[in-house]
Amino acid sequence: MKIQRYAEWSFGFHQRVVDQRVPIGGSIEVTRRCPHKCVHCYNNLPLSDQEAKLSELTYEEHCRILDEITEAGCLWLLYTGGEIFARKDFLDIYIYAKQKGLLITLFTNGALITPEIADNLVKWRPFSIEITLYGRTRETYERITGIPGSYERCMRGIHLLMERGLPMTLKTVVLTLNKHEIWEMKRFVEEDLGLEFRFDAMINPRIDCSHTPLDVRLTPQEVVELDLRDPKRAEEWKKFSKRQNARVISPEHRDELYTCGAGVAGFAIDPSGMLSVCEFVREHAWDLRSGSFRQGWENFLSEVRCKKITRHTKCVSCSIKAMCGMCPANGKLENGNPEEPVDFLCQVAHLRAYALGIPVLAHGDCEYCDGGEHYRKLMQSVAALRQGKPASVSVQPS
Amino acid sequence: MNISMKRFIKENDFVTRNIKDETIIVPVKGDVSDLDSIYTLNEVGSLVWKLLDGQTSVSEIVDAVCSEYDITPEEAQKDVVELIGSLEKAGLIHSSEDNQEKQD
Repeated sequence: MKIQRYAEWSFGFHQRVVDQRVPIGGSIEVTRRCPHKCVHCYNNLPLSDQEAKLSELTYEEHCRILDEITEAGCLWLLYTGGEIFARKDFLDIYIYAKQKGLLITLFTNGALITPEIADNLVKWRPFSIEITLYGRTRETYERITGIPGSYERCMRGIHLLMERGLPMTLKTVVLTLNKHEIWEMKRFVEEDLGLEFRFDAMINPRIDCSHTPLDVRLTPQEVVELDLRDPKRAEEWKKFSKRQNARVISPEHRDELYTCGAGVAGFAIDPSGMLSVCEFVREHAWDLRSGSFRQGWENFLSEVRCKKITRHTKCVSCSIKAMCGMCPANGKLENGNPEEPVDFLCQVAHLRAYALGIPVLAHGDCEYCDGGEHYRKLMQSVAALRQGKPASVSVQPS
Repeated sequence: MNISMKRFIKENDFVTRNIKDETIIVPVKGDVSDLDSIYTLNEVGSLVWKLLDGQTSVSEIVDAVCSEYDITPEEAQKDVVELIGSLEKAGLIHSSEDNQEKQD
């Protein structure tokens, strides 16, 4: 008999239950409404959107779903939005979820956090809180959110949580509008605030397939330049590729449409109770208002997860697929077809692999592999990046 | 009081989750909810945990473990007492006599 501490146990537990297809981790989007109008956001709607508000699950429906997901084995739960605190009853929902014994992460922009909310979070302490910081300066931050005063409100929210010692990570999404402040943001968060900081530069189209967010997306060269400027980040990519690249092209997984954990250990629920394998897959969803979570997980999502590829694209045998953002959701959002390779993601993955010395095995007719149409230009970018020059070589798909 | 006669009860600030034959004790309130303070119990530990109800004495728990598993009373006594000591130290349980003393 022994008591194990969380850190020792978590990794092993994931490994043990994934093989049994237990929905141990999920996300619930409580609302799409948000006080910000971020230029890159994939799903936000105005706070005043009555249609969105009326379609949201009620408190009672949330409680029933929480009963069902915990019964099915869910342990880790992410609450996201929109902005979670845009719902006046979010704390009630959250406290009910805490009482069910879930380990809860909260994604918030911090703008609506009040001393009362922060005090309640002290009483019902979350597993983690993640706040997105869009810029180091007010000008940059508010250029992205489109809301005057939003920077001050975010900083106030951060300080309210920090003063109370709540577990918090700050993060950002790197866009053309804030990339000049990324290293200052990192320094500010890590050194001045003493918090963990991470960033990502991958932007999706909106869930209605609108490409508006892509207007502020970095170029593949700029994305990889961020990796090379941060030795820790570069090292993490190398480790990740060693761990994951072989797995996704093994014969047992090669013909699977979904190669990530979606629908195996994870699920997503949208504001109106539609259950899917992930928050970006909206076309195959189970209505939790008319059926149970167990039915949705064991039957409907199991079938979605088992879908096979219908075409042999260059992605099928790609040895760096695990480190590429290409997935059925991104294929659908960007190209209207779950299996159609997304050129931007393909460029980023190849450029990142070449720049970091990660082997790329031949995988069919790929423009970015040795002998391919864009290989030479991509290698010019690699050379420029390695010399520390901002890469100016543009690779346009034909 | 001899530990065998003592009774222990779970603290209210924890929720027990059973997921695929694993018992996980999840802290839900206040400063016990730190990331590093989640506890798991194996099969025997789970049986002991169930019986920490403020009514069942340690010696009765030892008997229950002996009747359920192929283990000598001496081994069971040692393991149960050790586990209860760890649980008490971690703040997951307290002696029901403590409640009595507080009321007195």
